[in-house]
Amino acid sequence: MSTAPPLPQNISASTVANTTSLLRILALGLISAAAIASRLFAVINFESIIHEFDPWFNYRATRVLAAKGFYEFWNWFDPTAWYPLGRVVGGTVYPGLMATSGVIYNFLHYFNLPVDIRNVCVLLAPGFSALTAWATYMFTKEMKDPSAGLLAAAFIGIVPGYISRSVAGSYDNEAIAIFLLMFTFYLWIAALKQGSALFGTLAAVFYFYMVAAWGGYAFITNMIPIHALVLLLMGRYSGRLYVAYCSWYAIGTLSSMQVPFVGFQPVRTSEHMGALGVFGLLQIVAFATLVRSHVSSKQFQNLTAISVVSLGLLGALAFIVMTYKGWIAPWTGRFYSLWDTGYAKKYIPIIASVSEHQPTAWPSFFMDLQFLIFLFPAGVVMCFRDLRDEHVFVIIYALVASYFAGVMVRLMLTLTPVVCVSAAVALSSLLDTYVDVKEPSLPDATEADKKPASSGAVGSHAGTSAAAVASSTISDIFNAAKSTKTSKPKGIWGTDARIVILLNAIGMLVFFVFHCTWVTSSAYSSPSVVLASQNPDGSQHIIDDYREAYYWLRMNTPQDAVVMSWWDYGYQIAGMADRGTLVDNNTWNNTHIATVGKAMSSTEEVAYPILRKHDVDYVLVIFGGLLGYSGDDINKFLWMVRIAQGVWPDEIQEPNYFTPQGEYRVDDRASDSMKNSLMYKMSYYRFSELYGGGNALDRVRNQHIPKVGPTLDYLEEAFTTENWIVRIYKVRKEDPLGRDLKTANAFAQGKKRKRGRVGSRRRAIV
Amino acid sequence: MKLAALFPLFAIPFAFAASKEDKQKLSSLAASGNGVIRLDAPTFDILTSSSRDWSASIHFTALDKRRRCAPCKEFDPSWNAIAKAWTTVPAEQRDSHFFATLDFDEAPIVFQKLNLASAPVVWVYGPTEGSRATGKNSPSKYDFSNGFEAEPLAQHLSNHTPIPIPYRAPIDWARWITIVSGLLVFALTLRFVAPVLQSRWTWAIITICTSLTMTGGFMFTRIRGSPYTGSDGSWIAGGYQNQYGQEVQVVALIYGTLAFSVVMLTMIVPYQSSPTRQRLQIYLWSGVLMLVYSVLVTLFRVKNRGYPFKLLL
Repeated sequence: MSTAPPLPQNISASTVANTTSLLRILALGLISAAAIASRLFAVINFESIIHEFDPWFNYRATRVLAAKGFYEFWNWFDPTAWYPLGRVVGGTVYPGLMATSGVIYNFLHYFNLPVDIRNVCVLLAPGFSALTAWATYMFTKEMKDPSAGLLAAAFIGIVPGYISRSVAGSYDNEAIAIFLLMFTFYLWIAALKQGSALFGTLAAVFYFYMVAAWGGYAFITNMIPIHALVLLLMGRYSGRLYVAYCSWYAIGTLSSMQVPFVGFQPVRTSEHMGALGVFGLLQIVAFATLVRSHVSSKQFQNLTAISVVSLGLLGALAFIVMTYKGWIAPWTGRFYSLWDTGYAKKYIPIIASVSEHQPTAWPSFFMDLQFLIFLFPAGVVMCFRDLRDEHVFVIIYALVASYFAGVMVRLMLTLTPVVCVSAAVALSSLLDTYVDVKEPSLPDATEADKKPASSGAVGSHAGTSAAAVASSTISDIFNAAKSTKTSKPKGIWGTDARIVILLNAIGMLVFFVFHCTWVTSSAYSSPSVVLASQNPDGSQHIIDDYREAYYWLRMNTPQDAVVMSWWDYGYQIAGMADRGTLVDNNTWNNTHIATVGKAMSSTEEVAYPILRKHDVDYVLVIFGGLLGYSGDDINKFLWMVRIAQGVWPDEIQEPNYFTPQGEYRVDDRASDSMKNSLMYKMSYYRFSELYGGGNALDRVRNQHIPKVGPTLDYLEEAFTTENWIVRIYKVRKEDPLGRDLKTANAFAQGKKRKRGRVGSRRRAIV
Repeated sequence: MKLAALFPLFAIPFAFAASKEDKQKLSSLAASGNGVIRLDAPTFDILTSSSRDWSASIHFTALDKRRRCAPCKEFDPSWNAIAKAWTTVPAEQRDSHFFATLDFDEAPIVFQKLNLASAPVVWVYGPTEGSRATGKNSPSKYDFSNGFEAEPLAQHLSNHTPIPIPYRAPIDWARWITIVSGLLVFALTLRFVAPVLQSRWTWAIITICTSLTMTGGFMFTRIRGSPYTGSDGSWIAGGYQNQYGQEVQVVALIYGTLAFSVVMLTMIVPYQSSPTRQRLQIYLWSGVLMLVYSVLVTLFRVKNRGYPFKLLL
C-alpha cells in the first residue's frame, strides 16, 4: 500500500510503543500545567483571595477544621449564623471539600511545609482541575483511544465552561466535584466493560466521596441507573452489567448514607428511587435469565416472561403506593424545578432569585464551549456508529445534560465534560482519518469506467459541477452507510487534501486557545469581592469597598453585634467581618429570609420593631448608584419584596413598588411604597448632598434622584465606603424618655410638634 | 358638635337595614348572572359601600372589540369559571362574598374615579363590618405574575373568602382523547414502526435534534416566553443574556451544518472511490466549515460586543 509522504521503515514496534507512551505522559503533564496556569489569572491580576459568596463559608469552615480538628468541626454549632436560630454546621454541610483541604494542609505540615490554609483553599480548584483532565483522559480512552483522550483532557483543561467554577480562589464544592464526577463515570465504565466487582467497588467509593462533596451527586445517582435501564431495554443484559451495577449500588448507597447531611435520603426520597428500582429490576432479570438457562421447555419460558413482567408491575405499584402514603418523600423543590420550569418562580422564589438558576441563552453556550459546541453533535453521531455499551452512556449523558444546561446556567458545568469527551471523539476521528498516511489502492478499472463522465466534468469545469457533486454526495451517504459493514477501501488520496483538513483543524484549535484565554482572563477571573475598573490612562484601578466595609465592622463594632443584610452577603460578613448575621447563603429557612425582606421593604415604623426583636445592631446595604455597579440591592429589591410577599401577602404586595404605569423607578415618580421602604431610604440617604444639591444621578438605573432625599429616624448612618458601594447603618436604641424616635428626632431638630397628635405618637415599643 | 359626633350612632340601624337590602339585591344579581354580577356605576357603589359585611372581588375589564384588549379576553373565562365554582357553596357563605365584573364601556366613570388605566385588573374589597372585618376599606390588588390561569387566582382569592373556593380545573377531554388515540395508533402500527424504532439512526436523529435545540437556547425562550422576533421585526435580540425564538432555529441550524460537515469529512468522504471526487468533497466541506464558522463568530460578535476575535467575515 502506498503512502502519501514516505515513512521511515526501520523502527521497531517496541520503540514506537515506548515513544508514544512517553509522549502521552509528557502531553498529560503539559495539559495539567496549562490547566493550572490558566486558572491563576485571578491570583495574578488581583491577589490570593477567596472569591464570591459561598467560598467564604467553606473557607471559614475549613479554618475551623484545620485549627480544631475534625471532631470539633463535626460538632460545630455556629450561633452567629441565622441569629437567633444558629446553625448546626456539621450536620448541614457537605464536608468533602473541607476534609480534602484539611488533609492536604496536614499532609504539607507533616513534611514541615508551613503553607497557609488560605493558600491551600485558593489553589485547591486549579490543582483538582489537573486531576479532572486526567480523569477525562481515562474516560475518553474507554470511549475511543488514548489520542482522543488527550484531546479531551486538553479541552477540559482550558474550556471556560469548567474554568468558570474552578479559578484559583473559587473554593466551592464544584472545584473537586467535577473530578469526582468524571472519575466515578470512568470507574463505572471500566466496571461495566470488564464486569469487574473491583472497579464497581472503586466506583462506589468515589461515589461516596462525591456524595460527601456536592449536592449534585444526584446526577450520578440517576445517570448510572438510566444507563443500566437503557442497556436492559436494548436487550444488552449481561453478567458484566449485573456485577458492575450491583457492586456499585450496594456499596455506594450504604456508604453515602454515612454522610450526616444525606442520612436516610437514599431510601426515602424520589431522587434516589430510580437507582433502587433498577437494582430490583436487575435482580428479576438476572433471576429470569438464570431460570431460562436451566429450563428448556417453552412453557416455562413463557411463565418466566409473565412473572418478570408482573413482578416489575408490582414493584412499580408498590413504589406509587409508598409515594402516595408519604413513606417516600416526593421530589424536592430544587429537583422538581428542573422539570416544571415554572414551579420555582411560583412556589420557591428564593431558588428562582439566584442568578445562576436562570435559563441559558445561546451566547452563553458559545462563550463557555466555543467550537466544542458544534463538534459535540458530530461526536454523538460517531458514538451511534459504534454503539458499544459505553457509547450508550455518552449518548444519554449528552441528551440529559444538554437539557439541564438549557434550564439552568449553573448546570453548564455538568454539560461541559460530555461536550469535551464527545468533541474529542469527533475531532480525533477526523484527525485519525486524515493523518493516516496510507493511501487506498486506486479503484478498479471497471468502476472508474462506470463514471468517467462525472469525474471528467469535475476535472474540467469545477465551478459548474458543484451541483453535481452535491447531488452525488447524497448517494454517497447511502453507499457509505452500507459500506461500513463491508470492507470497502477507506482512505484519503493526496497530500493537499490532508493539509487542508489539518490546517483547518489546527486553526480551529488555535482559535479555541485564544478564545479560552480571553474568556478566562476577562470574564471568569474576577473575585467579585474586589472589583476592577480602568483609569483613563488604561491602568487598573481596584475598587475595594467590600473589604473596607467588612474591616470597619470588624474593628469598630462590638464582638457580638448582629448585622442585617440581604442573604447574599451573609457568608462574607461572617467570614470577613466575623459578626453575627440574620440570614446567609445557606438559604434553609425561607421565613427568616422573608422577615429580612419584609424589614427591607416596609416603612421605618414597621421595620423598627422587627429589627429590635432580632437584636439587629447594624444594617448593611449594597448601593451601586454612584459607580454604576449593577449588582446592588436596589436591583435585587424586587426579589426581597416577592419573598416577603410569599409569607405576608397582606402586608407586602409587589405591584405597590411599581409606578401606576408598571415601571420600576427610583426618581421622583417612584411609588410611595418604594420611597418609604427602608431599602430605598438607606440606599439614597444623603445621596443628593453628594452632588451639592444638583441633579443626583443614579448611574445604574439612569434616573435622577429627587433633590430632597429621604430622611431616617430609626437608623443612623454609621459608615459609607469610598465609592458608596457598601453603606452601614446603626439601629438606634429606644429613646430614653420613652418617646417615639420620630418625635424625638423632630424635637432635637427644633421642629414644632403638631398639636393634638401627641397621644397617637407616644407608644411603647415592644 | 356633640350631636354631630353622635349622628353616626343613629345612622347605624338604617345602615344595617340598607345593607341587608343591598345584600339581597346583590345576591339576586349574582344568581342571575351565573355567579358574576355585571356592574354599572350605581351597583358598583352599592357593592363597595363603606359599610359592608360582605367581601367582593371585582374584575375590571374591557371586553368590547373596539378596545382591542387581548389579555381581557384571555382572562375572562378563568374569572367566570371561578365565579361559577363559588355558586356551588352553601348560601350562607356564598352571600358573604361576591364576584363582579365591571366593563369599561358600561361604567367608564368608575375607571376614572379609581384611576385605572389598564385592564384586566382584579381588586378584592374586604368586609368592613361583621366578624370578618379587616379594618381597612381600601382594596387589595391581585398580581398577574402567575399568568391568567384560574388555579392560582382561585388560590389567592380563597384567602379572602370565608371558605376556600371549590374550584377544580376542568378535565381537558381533548388532551386525554389525543393521548389515548395516539397510544392506540402507536399500538396498531407497532408492527410497521418497529424497524424504524429499532434503528439506531432514528435515535441518533432524535438525540442530535434535541441537543441542538437545547444548545440553541430553546429552554431560555420557553421559560422566559421570548417572542419569535422583536416588535420591530429584528430577529436578533440585543444583549448577551437575551434571545428571540428565531435565534434558536438559526443557531441550531448553524451548529447542525457544522456538525454535519465534520461527520461528512470523517464518515463519508474516506469511502469515496474516486480520488477527484473525494478531493472536491474535501474542499467543499472544508469550505462550508470555514464559512459557516465565520458566520457563527460574526453572529456571536453581534450578541457580545466586546468579543475581540473574528474569522473570515
